[in-house]
Amino acid sequence: MSLVAEAFMNQLAAAEPWPENAALYQQLKEDQILLSDNAASLAVQAFLQMCNLPVRVVCRANAEYMSPSGKVPFIHVGNQVVSELGPIVQFVKAKGHSLSDGLDEVQKAEMKAYMELVNNMLLTAELYLQWCDDVTVEEITHPRYGSPYPWPLNRILSYQKQWEIRRKMKAIGWAGKSLEQVLEDVDQCCQALSQRLGTQPYFFNKQPTELDALVFGHLFTILTTQLITDELSEKVKNYGNLTAFCRRIEQQYFEGHDKDGSAAASARSAKRSLLR
Amino acid sequence: MASGSRAALALGRGNGACGYKPPSQGPATAPEAAPPPAAFPSRLCCRGRSGAAMRGQHRCVPRACAAGGQDGGSHGAELLGRRLGAAVPSSGVSDRHADVPVLISEDTVISQPAKILNFLRKQRYNADYELSAKQGADTLAYIALLEEKLLPALLHTFWVEAENYCSVTKPWFASRIPFPLSLYLPGKMSREALNRILLTRGGPPLYSLTEVEAQIYRDAKECLNLLSKRLGTSQFFFGNTPTTLDAFVFGFLAPVYKVCFPRVQLQEHLKQLTNLCRFCDDILTCYFKLTITGHSPSGQDTADANLQKLTQLVNKESNLIEKMDDNLRKSPQHPPRKITTLKLAAGGEESSPLNRLSP
Repeated sequence: MSLVAEAFMNQLAAAEPWPENAALYQQLKEDQILLSDNAASLAVQAFLQMCNLPVRVVCRANAEYMSPSGKVPFIHVGNQVVSELGPIVQFVKAKGHSLSDGLDEVQKAEMKAYMELVNNMLLTAELYLQWCDDVTVEEITHPRYGSPYPWPLNRILSYQKQWEIRRKMKAIGWAGKSLEQVLEDVDQCCQALSQRLGTQPYFFNKQPTELDALVFGHLFTILTTQLITDELSEKVKNYGNLTAFCRRIEQQYFEGHDKDGSAAASARSAKRSLLR
Repeated sequence: MASGSRAALALGRGNGACGYKPPSQGPATAPEAAPPPAAFPSRLCCRGRSGAAMRGQHRCVPRACAAGGQDGGSHGAELLGRRLGAAVPSSGVSDRHADVPVLISEDTVISQPAKILNFLRKQRYNADYELSAKQGADTLAYIALLEEKLLPALLHTFWVEAENYCSVTKPWFASRIPFPLSLYLPGKMSREALNRILLTRGGPPLYSLTEVEAQIYRDAKECLNLLSKRLGTSQFFFGNTPTTLDAFVFGFLAPVYKVCFPRVQLQEHLKQLTNLCRFCDDILTCYFKLTITGHSPSGQDTADANLQKLTQLVNKESNLIEKMDDNLRKSPQHPPRKITTLKLAAGGEESSPLNRLSP
């Protein structure tokens, strides 16, 4: 978006308070959603919970196509539709809620750097595992991705998406990596996150920020998703403080709410639903 | 990508004083306050032909062929190399490797910045010995930030922006690549850069290249601002000794800072961040300056009379080539050719061998 358009959006956002009927759209929890999309959706849900903003989760098979940027999740607030964590954080900030106001400039720079680290390594590794590892693709991804659609549309859509992701992997140099190298990268990333977290409750000590939401989204999904092998979740389980961090955020922000249609239910169902 | 290769190359050069600890010694060795500048006799051997000759001569030390250090990546690699004592001259692009930067050491060929750094680390050249665990984690995070936010704009400035590409990048690379690859490789690198930008940043709602360009330049400027805030007033990112992160940042920033492009919006933004400019200048003066004798002070006793003779030969050759060029230009049959000389303003000695390049 150009600067003018963005300023205009911010002004529109600031005009109204957060409504009660805000909705977050993602793909179908039980059958369709994949590892990376679930991680992103959970991160946004965690962020909104941390900001104390109510949102209900709506599952639609065509969520990806409804989204303005083609990526899930997206939120529908009042008259506006915003997708992906970065723009959602800015949108929420324009409405007057922010988690990172208390940080100084250096800490904000650090926070942004760590968010890029998670996006660069964890998200790319998840995409690689889902779309470039042949066994996983054949047994998990293709059946799940096209499940709401009849044959042959389901195969066509999933092949199209696979081709697109593989092109992107090739452009950034991940196509030549083996699964072991990708898992090693995940391990390196988790080590960095674990070292940064240390013994603190959150990454920036006392208050959670969007970085905590993002890390929670990815790590919780990795820990609770059953794939062909457990190697990915084993890499995360090696770091005790990261698993404790996930448990802490789950208990604090997800289990204290109603059971119907809340984020807690969707988080818990992730454990059972992402099976073959 | 290539920006990290500058980090890896630099890892091989320089002295052993900054953070390098051989495993047998205890932690008592304190690094020297002012690292002596590293020499690079092979800077004189920047031409393809003589570069090949140099390569043949010095197989025993880790050497990097890094496209003469023009592309963002090779400088960081070169810098780290220099800091940590390995003798790393830079020469022309190897005709065997389309992939730069590339480190050739005793017939081992390693071609990506991260792998080059790992290789150097295994050879016991490590700039991060004194960092705490958290600082190590920060290094990884900031490198990811650079690759996500700054790299697309860098690629765009070098390879996609038509004026920059045609007047600076393409002749520069083509002059270092032996014929006939020089007709094909720069175009291929340009297409790959555009592809990468569009695939990683070009999804909806950005539907045209101009919108993508606007977004990536905004991200790059924000990234530069973040780096500037992180650096603050200190000399390097983690105190007074340089580390891997400094090398990576230098590798990304130095080409933007120093190369004279026709279209320079990123450079103008960078020049307003005075602490980053000072950072680049410091590293350039410390680690990329020719010494008087032309030898690396890190004790390269093997860089002996052979090397001196070779450099003299190369100098003579370059003078001859210059004379031939002059004759050619003055000759009435040939139309006057435009010389694209590159003004790297780092220092007199450094710019003169490079200025003798003529495409």
